[in-house]
Parts: sequence; structure tokens; C-alpha cells
Amino acid sequence: MPEKILTSRRRVLFGAAIGAGALVTGCTSNASSSDESAATAPETAGKPGKPVTIGFAGPQADHGWLNAINENATRRAEQYEDVTLEITEGSNDTATQIGQITTLINKKVDVLVILPADGKALTQTGLEAMRAGIPVVNLDRIFNSPQAYRCWIGGDNYGMGLNAGRYIGERLKDVADAKVVELAGLDTLELTKQRTQGFDDALGNYPNITKVARQAAEFTVESGQAKMAQLLQAQKDFDALWNHDDDQGVGALRAIEQAGRDEFVMVGGAGSKSAMEAIQSDDSVLKATVLYPPTMAASAIDLARALGQGKGVSGLAELEIPSSLTLYSAIVTKDNVEDYLPTGFI
Amino acid sequence: MSDIIKAFPGVRALDGVTLQVQAGEVHCLLGQNGAGKSTLIKVLAGAHRPDSGTVTWRGEEVVLRSPIAAMRLGIATIYQELDLVEGLSVAENVFLGHERTAAGFVIRGRDTRVAAAELLRRLGHEEIDASRAVGELSAAQRQIVSMARALSHDVRLIVMDEPSAALDPDETENLFRIVRELTADGVAVVYISHRLEEIRRIGDRVTVLKNGRSVAGGLAVEETPDREIIALMTGREIEHVFPGRSAPRQSAPTVLRTRGLAREGEFAPLDLELRAGEIVGLAGLVGSGRSEILETIYGARRPSAGEVSVDGRRLRPGSVRSAVAAGLGLAPEERKAQGLFQLESVTRNVSVSTLSRFARLGWLDRRGERVATKAVTRELSLRPDDPDVLIRTLSGGNQQKAVLARWLLRDCRVLLLDEPTRGVDVGARAELYGVIRRLADAGLAVLLVSSELPEVLGLADRVLVLREGRVVDAAPAPDLDENRILDLLMAAHADTTSPGTEPS
Amino acid sequence: MTQQPVSSPRRAVPQSAGRGKLPVRGGPAGGRPPGPLARLGRQADVRNLSLLGVLAILVAVGGVTEPDTFLAGSNLQLVLTQASIIGVVTVGMTFVIAGGGIDLSVGAIVALASVWATTVATQEYGFTGILFTAVVVGVGCGLVNGVLVAYGGMVPFIATLAMLASARGLALQITDGRTQIVTVDAVLDLGAPGAYVLGIPPLVLVFGAVTVLGWLFLNRTTFGRRTLAVGGNAEAARLAGIDIRRQRLYLYVLSGLCCGIAAFLLIVLSGSGQNTNGNLYELDAIAAVIIGGTLLTGGRGTIVGSVLGVLIFTTITNIFALNNLQSDVQQIAKGAIIVAAVLLQHRTLRRTGGV
Repeated sequence: MPEKILTSRRRVLFGAAIGAGALVTGCTSNASSSDESAATAPETAGKPGKPVTIGFAGPQADHGWLNAINENATRRAEQYEDVTLEITEGSNDTATQIGQITTLINKKVDVLVILPADGKALTQTGLEAMRAGIPVVNLDRIFNSPQAYRCWIGGDNYGMGLNAGRYIGERLKDVADAKVVELAGLDTLELTKQRTQGFDDALGNYPNITKVARQAAEFTVESGQAKMAQLLQAQKDFDALWNHDDDQGVGALRAIEQAGRDEFVMVGGAGSKSAMEAIQSDDSVLKATVLYPPTMAASAIDLARALGQGKGVSGLAELEIPSSLTLYSAIVTKDNVEDYLPTGFI
Repeated sequence: MSDIIKAFPGVRALDGVTLQVQAGEVHCLLGQNGAGKSTLIKVLAGAHRPDSGTVTWRGEEVVLRSPIAAMRLGIATIYQELDLVEGLSVAENVFLGHERTAAGFVIRGRDTRVAAAELLRRLGHEEIDASRAVGELSAAQRQIVSMARALSHDVRLIVMDEPSAALDPDETENLFRIVRELTADGVAVVYISHRLEEIRRIGDRVTVLKNGRSVAGGLAVEETPDREIIALMTGREIEHVFPGRSAPRQSAPTVLRTRGLAREGEFAPLDLELRAGEIVGLAGLVGSGRSEILETIYGARRPSAGEVSVDGRRLRPGSVRSAVAAGLGLAPEERKAQGLFQLESVTRNVSVSTLSRFARLGWLDRRGERVATKAVTRELSLRPDDPDVLIRTLSGGNQQKAVLARWLLRDCRVLLLDEPTRGVDVGARAELYGVIRRLADAGLAVLLVSSELPEVLGLADRVLVLREGRVVDAAPAPDLDENRILDLLMAAHADTTSPGTEPS
Repeated sequence: MTQQPVSSPRRAVPQSAGRGKLPVRGGPAGGRPPGPLARLGRQADVRNLSLLGVLAILVAVGGVTEPDTFLAGSNLQLVLTQASIIGVVTVGMTFVIAGGGIDLSVGAIVALASVWATTVATQEYGFTGILFTAVVVGVGCGLVNGVLVAYGGMVPFIATLAMLASARGLALQITDGRTQIVTVDAVLDLGAPGAYVLGIPPLVLVFGAVTVLGWLFLNRTTFGRRTLAVGGNAEAARLAGIDIRRQRLYLYVLSGLCCGIAAFLLIVLSGSGQNTNGNLYELDAIAAVIIGGTLLTGGRGTIVGSVLGVLIFTTITNIFALNNLQSDVQQIAKGAIIVAAVLLQHRTLRRTGGV
């Protein structure tokens, strides 16, 4: 039985890889590797331009989402004949990352894509790169100063909370005295506060809804299980739950299952593959998830390439690419999950 | 000080002690372990506040609130466990807590070193480099540093707690010289020692403590015979300190034999035979290789050559477990650090080497353990007769009995005793001697190391005299006397103390 | 008095001394004098009583603030379940610390064992494969720790710190940062209410069994006695003929075994394996051991105290979650309660004349 599930899952991945590969021209890499990077192939892939070397520095991929970031960047770069990607070993240590980026600057890469372990701490390094004439694409965690990057692209944490709140609000707008519970991520991170703020602001539009409890987990399955179990014990009856992160959501779903509870609707966050599969099969409390798409890394490679070749973004009137791009935190439900499933990360 | 009372939970450590010390005298403080000496000097040093009683200092009643307050008055204390910081230099240690500073916090290093060197010179130890780390110094040198520290204050009274315990006869001589110089300057010295002969040599007056009371105050040393002092301390007179020897038993089988046993740099090849029922003493100065020989036989040190056999069977070199399995037992020199489990009860300290006897598949038969250990501790008259009492609450003599009991419980064949009476007070020593002789009479072979010649001569059947790791003389104990051994040792000492070499 | 033993020299015939066959003068042979024994017993109790006191205060606080949810039977199940994983780790840690060592690698070993036991390949072997792998990985890591400390002469702090780093690295390498979902039903079912025995979750049963075995091991076997001897005074233990290196080796293997069991429990509870598992278990376990009354320098250890320490921490977390207090407040309170528990312990001990 378990073997069957595994093989069927592997087949799904394999299919997705072939599907994506068929859309890509010039992709000669091994087809057996899964490819979650792109729902759509890059428009310009067919016409190679001036060769561009892109340096990429990210944090250690010790978490599903961050792992997906690295993979998205690598895959995207492989799809371009004219792009060479210099990727560094991921590190969560600011000092190490500074060293790695300095090395990339010294190597005189054409463009840098940086996802800093800590945005504030790496601002100075971003400034140095810009001064050295290397345009920086700042990915997700933002630098302190706009001078430190040419273009910022990232997710919308506030928007994530907002959309999760709206979705829940709409589902519960006819329920009198509806109760909502929030399972937040790591409370020491600013993004967690932003997500919670957005969520609260959205719920503010629905006077019949009260947020009755909030606990913070640590983005891990273990903490998700532990905190959710406590929340379920504390709240004997509620209508909806927003969980900030699908990784910890694995543990949260486990706790819900163990407690035998199903009276509420659960909304996830970030958009993992397992969450999307659960939404698709519609056999658990998980009915939706708000995206924080790791495909932003693929887009960052696109932007870096455009910067290196001196192009703009097609479809916009401007000659230059924008200085900041905030991605939309779309809500994935049973209705549109088909479209997003290939972008779900493991 | 008069009528000092200090009580701790469960114990009245001081129960009305009066001590009068005059300027310029050496006042000896005597008493068995637990008589209250340590508590009394801690009160003097300001480390303990007495519950009642008064301290009068140069005619004025004072309260010693803290060690600093005591030091400001001019009272300095040199504790038995020297309280030096090993990582700091000699000079830094001397002025620790009252550093020579500029602008209140910048340490004047040069000035400190010069001042420290001056103090060391006054103590007759110019050879100690004030900038060396204390950790590199010998025990004797550290003692000098402690003394320099005491003198770095404007001191009127120095309390010395067993200052000669870690010293060679030579170094002790120097200590006495310093004490005399101090008293000549009008400084008073309170001198604590177990050794009666020292007190006789240096003391002016003596106060005896017993059970937290001063039983005799300010007796003039010269007019008080040893016997009276011992009687005051113990409350009884000791007729025969050493038990009588049994008739020599030439026919008894050899139990322990070493052949060419040696450790490079520590002792030369040693051939030794130990018969059942025999006590053999090793006499020698600190550093003559006595303890090293014992520990090598025991397997705690790996020999560089030679072998040890028990009942004709060779032991695995450098293996304590092999030695213990063959029936060897060691009562180590540093009883606290090497012999005892301070957190544990008497029973557990005794049974630790015999656990598997009381266990089936690792499961302990605790009743059997108690019964057996109690039988042995009773045989040795260990006090208190309570197997559950914590070992660290026992006196030194009873702790030593517990260590002996450990090996008796194992049916051991050879006892290696390293300074068995260190830290054991005079009254209890005699009892311990009796125990050791009794064990030998019962068929054990005993190898005894002691720095106290009378102890070796009085207790052992045969004595080996060690010098520089070599046996220079071996004879039945009755054929030797203290003077002869001293001559042998001193001759050796004169040989080796050539300029530039340090005794190791 | 001195002469008395001399008068009966033959009594100490060593050959018979150890067997306990000696005629003992007066009193029942080796009987139990009630006074001192009771005193000892009382001292041990005092230490644990003050912990029970802290626990009672916490229960009172929980009962007053959230009477309906906190005192429910389901909440007791929850608290014990949440305590069971770190509890098993703490029992192993108690041995290591009582034996004079420290094991900083417990969290990392739990992580490594949990991911190794949940790889696709391992899951194909089903329940047994997962359990076996978790335990073997735990024991293996403990063995490496033990060899490094006991035979390699490394300081425990350093050896286990190195294990912490490499085990976490290996766990990350195995998972690639991904969460490994468990699909073996037999494992998953163990964490579901259907598997409860008389209302007790299997995890709690395992925790209970490990606690009882740990207590027996520490207090009733030669292994436990030698552990305390090595922790209390390694040199004295060596000179008493104990093989202190082998004893140390065993201690780290035991800790590794506990980590392996804990990893399996974690897999059951969370239905997954993740390289971030066991985060900061080392600190939680050490904290529980210390407030439990085990000496950080070794030589004295109490399993009951350690388990009470774990329960105190879990109960605090539970009460705060039920009262919807946020993690910042939780952390501050946790620190304050550690200090309070230890202070209370010292005060009670001092009053009763203990250490």
C-alpha cells in the first residue's frame, strides 16, 4: 500500500517534468529531475542574446520553500543558452554570505541575485556591488537602502495575510459569531508580524468574525504539531484556521487528525505540493492556501538576464525594468489548484 | 577573642573558645580534626561571623564583617588549600584584590613586579620569578607566594593553617626561619599543625581545642610535655602508639613480587618481594619515587620496564583492573581526590569495587550489600556505625577506614598504603596503626609509604630507604633508627642539590 | 577503646570478610536503622517535593485561568504526549550528566534518526524498518560520541558539539531541506486515538516505560552505581578498579538509544521526518535535568526529578497556549520559572539541613 502511493506520487512528478520540458526549447538537461519552476516557459528563451553571467547567493536550503528557491533559480538559468549561473553554497551566516558575495563581485559577474539571510545586515555588501557597477536583483528579503539594489522582487507578506483573511471572511460572512484561529510562523521574524497584520486587517471588515486564538510555531513540522495540538485543546469549537506555513502545516494537519476534529476550514500558506494535493483531493479540513511563490527566484533570473542584456520587460511600456516588483499572493482553492500544482514545492 | 560561639545547622562548631595572642609570639593551635580549628580561623579571617562572643584587637572590641575588614585590621590568613589563582603571575597573585594602580584602575605592572620581588626577597626566596604563572610553581613555592600575599598588607597577625603539610624538611626549615623573622618584627603568628615536634621547635605558647571548646589556653610550650598535650587533645593518654610486631614469619609465602619494575625518570629497576603477613615500609623524601612505585605496582602508571606478579601470576602492565582482580588494593595519597566519592554514603564507598558480587545480571542485591559492608566497617570500628551516613561527614581516620574496608570486602591480598595517616589526627592514628597491624596478622601483605619516619619505623617489619628512585638501604625495622635513615636521606639531598637544579 | 579491635585480631580475616558471613557484634545483622535512612529518603523527597510544589502551583494556575480546558482528561493526554519525546531524551541525558559528561548532540541525533528512518527507501520496510532505523541511527551516533569521549580523550562538550554539527548536516543532506511524509499506516495509526490503551496514548506508555527502566537502571543496578561513581570522582573510580572508559562509552550509547526512541516517537506524532526536528532539545533536556536536581558536575542523578522538570516545562507551555499568550511572554516566563524552581529547591534543602 505505501509503496503504491509513493510510486504514484513519483509518476505525478515525472509527468510534470516532461510537461514542463516540452515547453522549453534548448533544454537538454536530464528529464528525470522534477521541475516545479515554471508554469509558463520564458518568452525570450528561443532567441539567445548577449551572454550574461549571473551570480546567485542565497541562504541555506534547510526548509522546503528555500530549497524550492534554489531549484527555481537553477532550472530557469538552465533554460537560457545565454545565461551562466554562478551559484554559491547557501549559508545562514551573514559573515559567510558577505564573503561569498564579495567573491562573486571579484569574479566580475554581470548581475547579482541575492536572497540575503538577513536583509539589513547585507545592505552594505549590496551597496558595494552596485558601486562596483554590478546591478543587484534583491530577492524577497529587502535591503535597508534602495541604493543597494537595482531591482527588488519578492513576496507580499502583508498581502498574504490579507488574502487569507478575505477568503475566510467570504466563507464565513453568513455565520453568526464566527470564530477564527491563527497558527503563525516564527514570531522572531518581521514577516510573521506583517502576515498577522494583514490577516487582522482583512478580518476587520467582517464584524461577525472574532479571532479567538493565535499561537506561533517555528516553521517546522514538529512545532506545527505541538502548537496546533495546544490550540485544538484550548478552542473546542471554531470555524476557520489560518496557518502561515505549509511546512508546519504538515504537523498541524497531523494534530487535527489526531484530535479527530473537522468542524472548521483550514487555509494554508506559501503553497507546498503536499498542501495543494490535499486541497485537490478535498478530503481534509485544508481547503485553500495563500501563495508565497518560490517561482520568484525564476523571475529574478529573468530580470537579471534582462538587466545584463539591457532589455526591458515585455508587456510594459517602459524601456527599463521596474525598481520593485511585489508578487501577488494568490489564493489556491480546489477550483484553480490544477494551474498551481506544478509550482508547489516539496 | 573570647567566648566565641558559632553554630551551624546540626553542629555547634565552636562552643565557647577563648584565644589570646600576644604580639611577637608564635601561638600554636592544636586540636583533633573537628575540634573547631578551621572554624576558629575562619572567624579570625572574617569569613564566618560568630553567633556570640567578642573579638578584641589591640584593646578595642571589633567586628570582623568580612575578609577585607580583617585584612584592613592587619589579620592575614594562609589557608591549607592555598587560595591562589593559577593562571595569574606571582606578582598579580600577591596583590590580588589590592592591586597597585594608577588612576584607580590601570594596573602598574612594573611597580607590582618590583614590589612582589621585594616581598619574596624578604622571605628569602629571590629565586621565585615574580612574573611567572603560579601554576608553574611547586607546592612549596606557592606557599611562599601565599605568605608574600599576607605580608603585602600591613600585617600584625598571620594565621597559618598546617603550613608545613606540603613541605620537605628543608623547606620547613626555611618556613621556621621566616616565622622567626616575622615574630622578631613584632608580628604575631597563629600556627596550626598536627606535628607535635614542630610545635615544640617553633611554638611559644599553645592553645588546645577539643570539641569546639578551648581546653587549655596559652600554655607555655617549653613547660608542657608532649604527653600532656596529647592527653589534652584526646582526653586520654596513649601508652603504646604502635602495636607490637608479631614474630617474623619467614615461612609465609611470597604474595607480591616485582622484577626490574621501573619508570624512566621516576624510579630505577626495583626487585621487591612481599610476604603474606608482612608490612614493608618505603621511606624517602617527597620526590624519591615512593608514591610512583606504589602507583606503578597498582597499574595506575604504566611501567617502562619490568613486571609485577601476584601469587606468581603476572599482571597486565598499566592496568588497574588487572591489579584489582589479582587482589591488590590501594589507599591513595590524596584520599579526597583519588579515593572517595564525596556525595555517597559509607556503604557505597566501601562496596564500589565489589559491586558485581552483589549483583545478578547487573541487578543489585542492596540488602546483601549493606550486610556485607556493615560487617567489614564494624570490624574496623568505623564511626559512626551507620552505613548510610555520607562519607564526607566522617573524620579523616574513619574515611581511611572506609577505604581499607573497600579492599577487605574484596578479599584483597596486598594493601598498598600511601600516607595512610595524612589528615588523621593523633588520637585516631594509633587506632589506624592497630588496624593495619591486625590486617597484616590476618595474612595480608602491606606496602606502606609515609613521610613520617617514626610511622614507617614503628609500623613496618622491613624498611626500604629510597633516594632518587633507588633503594639505598633495606633492613628489618628494628635494626634501623631515625637518625640513620635521616643520614641516608640527607646525604642524598646534599648530593643532588647542586646549583641550578631544582628538586623535582 | 583503641585496644578493642586489637584484642580480636582474627576477626578481620580477609578471606571471609567479603561474604558477609562474619559474626557481627550486637544488633540485627545489617538491619536498617530507621533514623538516618529515613533522613536520606526525606532529603531525596524534599528535592522532588519542591518540584512537585512548582507543578502543583502551575496546575492551580492552569485550573483557575482555564478551568474547562485545562483540567480536562484530554488535556492531560495532550501534556503527557507532548512531554514524552523530550522526556525520553531527558532520561538519557540524566545518565550522561550524572556520569560527569554532557551530550549536546541529542537534538541533532533525533533529527538525523527521524529523517533517516523516513526516507523512501526505509519506508518500504514498513513499521519495523522505521523503528529499527531510528534506534540504530541513535545508537550509532551515541557510539561515535562515546568512542570519541571515552577512548579518544575528547572533552564531551567538544565531541558532542561536533556530532551536533555533523548530524544536523547529514540530516539536511538526506532531506535536501524537504519534509518527508510518512505513508506507513501502522506508524501513523500509533499516534491516533484508536491506538490508546485505556485512554493512554502509546507515546505516553513508552515514556512511562523508559522512565521506570531508567529509574531502575540508575538506582538498582551496578551500571547506575558505576555511573554515579565515575561522575562523582572519575579518578577514585579508576583506582577502585572500575573500567571508567567503558562506562563512559555506555553512557553515550544509552543517550543515543534514547534519542533513537524519541525520534521514532516524533515520527509517530508528526507523521513525518524533517531535518529541523529536535530543535534545541539539548537545552531543554539539560535544563530539565538540572532543575530536576541532578548535579551538572556529576555524581548525583535523579530520574524522577528530571521527569518532573520535563513535566513542568510542558505544563507551562500548555497553560500559556491555552491562555493564548504569545511566545515572547512564554519565553520570559520559562526563564523566570527555571530560576524560581532552582531557588525554591535550594531554600528547601537549606532549611532541612541538606546540601
